[in-house]
Amino acid sequence: MSTLDDKAEETVEQVETTKCPEKEQKNRACGIILIFFVIGLVGSLAVGWLIFPKLLYSQKKQPIDFNHVVHVAAVEDGCESCHYFREDGSFSGVPKLAQCVGCHEEAQGENPEELKFVEEHVTKGNEVPWLVYSRQPDCVFFSHASHIKMGKLDCVVCHGHIGESKHSRVYEENRLTGYSRDIWGKNLAGLKKDTWDRMKMDDCAECHAELKAKGETVTTLPWPINWMPRPYEKPASSQVRVNIQKDACFVCHK
Amino acid sequence: MKVCRRSFLSLIIGGAAGTALSPLPLKLMDDSSIWSQAWPWTPVPEDGEVSHVGSICTLCPGGCGITVRKVNDRAIKIEGMKGHPVNNGGICVLGLSGLQLLYGPTRVKTPLKRVGARGEGRWEKISWDEAIAEVVKKLGGLREKGKSHTVACISGTDRGTVAQLLGRFLTVYGSPNFIRIPSIQDSYELTMHLMQGVQASAGFDVENADFVLSFGSGLIEGWGSPVRMIKANSKWKERGKVVQIESRLSNTAAKADKWVPINPGTEAALALAIANVIIQKSLYNADFVKNYSSGFEEFKQMVLNEFSPDDVSGITGVSASTIESLAKSFAGSSKPLAVCGRGQGETPGSLNEFMAVHTLNALVGNIDKKGGVWTVPDPDYIKWPEVEMDRIAANGMSKARIDGAGSKRYPDTRYLLDRLPNAINSGKEYPVEALFVAGANPVYTIPDSKAVKEAFNKVPFVVSFSSYMDETAVNSDLILPNHVFLERYEDVPTPVGLQKPIIGLSKPVVKPLFNTKHLGDVILLMAKAFGGQIAKAFPWDSYEVCLKETLGNKWDKLINDGFWADSNFRPAVWGGAFHTPSRKFEFVNKGKAESIKIEGDEKAYPLILMPYDSMRLASGFIGDPPFVIKTVEDTVLKGKEIVVEVNPKSARGFREGDQAILSTPKGSVKVRVHHFNGIMPGLVALPRGLGHTAYDEYLADKGVNFNELIGPVEDPVSGLNAAWGIRAKLTRA
Amino acid sequence: MKEQHKNTKAKKYGMVIDLDKCTGCGACMAACMAENNVPFKKDESNKLDSITWMRVYSLTNGKKFPEADMCYIPRPCMHCEAHNGHAPCVSVCPAVATDYNHETGIVSQIYTRCFGCRYCMAACPYHARYFNWWDPVWPDGMEKYLSPNVSPRMRGVVEKCSFCFHRYQLAMNKAYVEGRRELEEDEYQTSCTQACPAGAIIFGDLNNPGHAVNQIAKPDPKHGGRPMNPHAFRLLERLGTNPKVYYLSSREWVRRAGDNYIKDEGKQGNH
Repeated sequence: MSTLDDKAEETVEQVETTKCPEKEQKNRACGIILIFFVIGLVGSLAVGWLIFPKLLYSQKKQPIDFNHVVHVAAVEDGCESCHYFREDGSFSGVPKLAQCVGCHEEAQGENPEELKFVEEHVTKGNEVPWLVYSRQPDCVFFSHASHIKMGKLDCVVCHGHIGESKHSRVYEENRLTGYSRDIWGKNLAGLKKDTWDRMKMDDCAECHAELKAKGETVTTLPWPINWMPRPYEKPASSQVRVNIQKDACFVCHK
Repeated sequence: MKVCRRSFLSLIIGGAAGTALSPLPLKLMDDSSIWSQAWPWTPVPEDGEVSHVGSICTLCPGGCGITVRKVNDRAIKIEGMKGHPVNNGGICVLGLSGLQLLYGPTRVKTPLKRVGARGEGRWEKISWDEAIAEVVKKLGGLREKGKSHTVACISGTDRGTVAQLLGRFLTVYGSPNFIRIPSIQDSYELTMHLMQGVQASAGFDVENADFVLSFGSGLIEGWGSPVRMIKANSKWKERGKVVQIESRLSNTAAKADKWVPINPGTEAALALAIANVIIQKSLYNADFVKNYSSGFEEFKQMVLNEFSPDDVSGITGVSASTIESLAKSFAGSSKPLAVCGRGQGETPGSLNEFMAVHTLNALVGNIDKKGGVWTVPDPDYIKWPEVEMDRIAANGMSKARIDGAGSKRYPDTRYLLDRLPNAINSGKEYPVEALFVAGANPVYTIPDSKAVKEAFNKVPFVVSFSSYMDETAVNSDLILPNHVFLERYEDVPTPVGLQKPIIGLSKPVVKPLFNTKHLGDVILLMAKAFGGQIAKAFPWDSYEVCLKETLGNKWDKLINDGFWADSNFRPAVWGGAFHTPSRKFEFVNKGKAESIKIEGDEKAYPLILMPYDSMRLASGFIGDPPFVIKTVEDTVLKGKEIVVEVNPKSARGFREGDQAILSTPKGSVKVRVHHFNGIMPGLVALPRGLGHTAYDEYLADKGVNFNELIGPVEDPVSGLNAAWGIRAKLTRA
Repeated sequence: MKEQHKNTKAKKYGMVIDLDKCTGCGACMAACMAENNVPFKKDESNKLDSITWMRVYSLTNGKKFPEADMCYIPRPCMHCEAHNGHAPCVSVCPAVATDYNHETGIVSQIYTRCFGCRYCMAACPYHARYFNWWDPVWPDGMEKYLSPNVSPRMRGVVEKCSFCFHRYQLAMNKAYVEGRRELEEDEYQTSCTQACPAGAIIFGDLNNPGHAVNQIAKPDPKHGGRPMNPHAFRLLERLGTNPKVYYLSSREWVRRAGDNYIKDEGKQGNH
């Protein structure tokens, strides 16, 4: 970018500053430079931490404000009362209208959200376009059966304490990818405290590696896909890869 | 304060540092990689609850049971129905692609009325009320003028409630011109009628046959009920023999235990030569011949005098020793079966040939026996009250059929669609004022496309009931789109060639996607609009009511299982099987078994063009959906060009892949040449099922329609089309 | 038989295709396309870019009329085990987008991970891999039949037959819900096997001596799974790819064609 002239000027300037070591001037110059540095730093931090998330995510409201607490109290089988396994082994996920109608043929109470639900959806027969916080990309295959039925995992491990929510959270949609913010996690830095804070591939891998370290037969990712450092497992080598019995793309991808 | 360059740099560095310390870069990188891996425009199929719906496929007369996998209300995949008596889990390439027809771009979505010129493709959307009113007005006018007989109807089938309703409508309206699409069914029915005195279909107990002698039938290429035949072929591989007599190494020939190349068109002679050997060596079933047949002596004399293996060898190109060994192994097998009807059986063929081949079955006495040819009565569940015709209808029904079927010349033939174009074009009979087409695509499937189009143009009012924008729909005035097979109820009587009567039930798998109407309901609505005797003949509120009532106590079983099989059905016993005047099987000898002469002068056209069929090319009223056309080999279709097969010996300088002009007396087309050692020198083979001009861009304008190059040749006995080929030549492009 | 009840035993899913029964009808190809959301273009006559996970080739014996003979040969992915899972395509993939599953013996692939270098296509001796030169386009409305079990691919990635692995996954789900860890043989069948009207394809666990695939092919574990049935052969046996698809033919010329036979060449073969 710089032309010869620019370069010449630069040298001159440098010469000037070194030749006139007036402290005050220098300090002031340093100060200004520092201020600019700080402005840049703070500004970009603000952009990165405060504005960027606002730009990245759009806020969406669930069509109906759903109260899990009330529902969990009203059913007998906990989560599986509504989020159940079908006979063919598939997982039903978010209930369809037909399921809700079982109880909500008519409004059960005075709650305006319920009235709205009955009016807009039950009577008209329109499915509720729920926004699914945990929706994964199409290339992901996830078996609820193997985790819940065979692995005996609790729903909370991945989904958190959603069953204790009285209101539906705002659904934050990533404008770029179209997926929920829950996949990457609330924390933009990607830090997590609890197992349910994030739902990325590394989070699957982390748990699986832990189990593998304990000697369980689970799928782990072959090196070098799983390049993230894991303190509790020695770095995988090609030797390890061959010995691992449960690995391969199609286990988690379709 | 002086903002110097250094400050600016510092700002940038600070900014960079801040950005690096913020989640922005990593997150943006991650998100853009996700974005780039799963493009937003790549469809994401919705997941949901899986369910299965059993039904019957009606894309061909094969009548296979299907199980459609659904996710929520979307149909995802068609699979063969396990336990179905026809296909037991198997399914063909076309059936598998059925969803592409359901959801495809060729559907006619609402009733359409032609605006531009015929075939121009300019349409106006109209409502069902308007459409039906239009038809009724036109038909009413003709009726008033006493011209009800000038209405004709072309139907894919004459069996099942929908076709019967259509026929009933025509009768009570006053037209004798209900015409079924031609096929070898016609020839087989006629053969059964003349030789056994029955009005029935021929069923083949292929599963139990242990020696199959096929005169050019594409046993595994769509002849009969395709999946069933392929299954039977696998059984024959384990125990049984197949001999294929054909001039080209078809798939059937390649899979057969023995392939006997024959000069095309001489199959009848070969069959009679085989009969000659069987009679001469007394290998026939003496019990059957003596006690249950008549006319044997006369037949014997004719065969012995005129069809000695040596003489026939000269005609057919099959050596006398081969003829003898064929006869011996055929007659020596415990359950031999002889079948005919070339390829998929779309051309009815020469009646003499059918009777000659059926004679072989009679000689070995395997009629109505295990592994043989069975008499399959027409299903009798449709028991509607006789129609009461008014004066106009009775008058119309007393007129002769326009196609000449049932006339003095062809008294025993029921339908002669191939004669219709000529009847219209020549104007010798009465003109056709209105034409209905249902479950058929005659503009594409009837030979001599030019004449067919000309005839269509002479008919002032053409109504198509097609679900798809096929060639016939394009050339019509009004399209009243039927639901496709996955959206409608329909009974499917015994599939072609099956030896036992069964009924299948096609069920709606998904709700109708568009503003279409069941043809059965349209007929009822038209009848109601007419009132009088016509309305009286249709006492049902809707087609579904009619169907339920007709099927009676079979309905529940059909809904649950998808099919109903007559468990009491047994093949007829020889003593009472034959209803000829003699009450015996008759060795009918109608004239000499001369081979059918094909069109064209040998000098001008040194080669013979023959069609060939393939499971991967649907040549009936349904065109190949995208999946099926994708399976077509590049030795059949290359780009938009059709590839013809010639033996390298008769290629005359044309190298593999060369462009050429293929001409017949009917027309010439551009083709590419493929050298094939499996074809007899002197022949050119062209695949059937290509050259569509309608449908979508996945099928249209690819290759050539064989029917553009050939015209019908009338069988002297039946009047049916017996053309097996046409003279042709290849010239430089 | 007791062997079957051990639940940790690795499977080796494979196929036996009876070429005597195969009629070349193409049902396996369409069954595969319909099951696996395989795209289609307006012109599919250039077979080099026509994506067919299962493709039926035709072979001829090269003789003149009337000695000419023809045979069809369906070709899915061979799911080569090679030596210890080092399938030709797996070992060349720089993205680790394709992998050999030791639990089932299936060569799997992540489409979204593939970046389209096509090394695997060059490495595959069977032309079983296909590249998406274009984004798939379904005519308006036709995307309705797409199956949720297989993700539609995008432009720029390689795809191939998966032995309908999603069917294995779904069958396993069902087993899990019923408290089982083992599948019955008929619970997991590929789409082509199920559809084949001729019953020419048999699919199952080659490690299971109780299953037809093992009984028919009789793989010889001492010789890299080479079939001991004299009518059975594998494509390009001598390359040592150890494929899991076996073919049966009673015709010698077909068996020879399957291994790209050159006269006298086999005498130097040493595996």
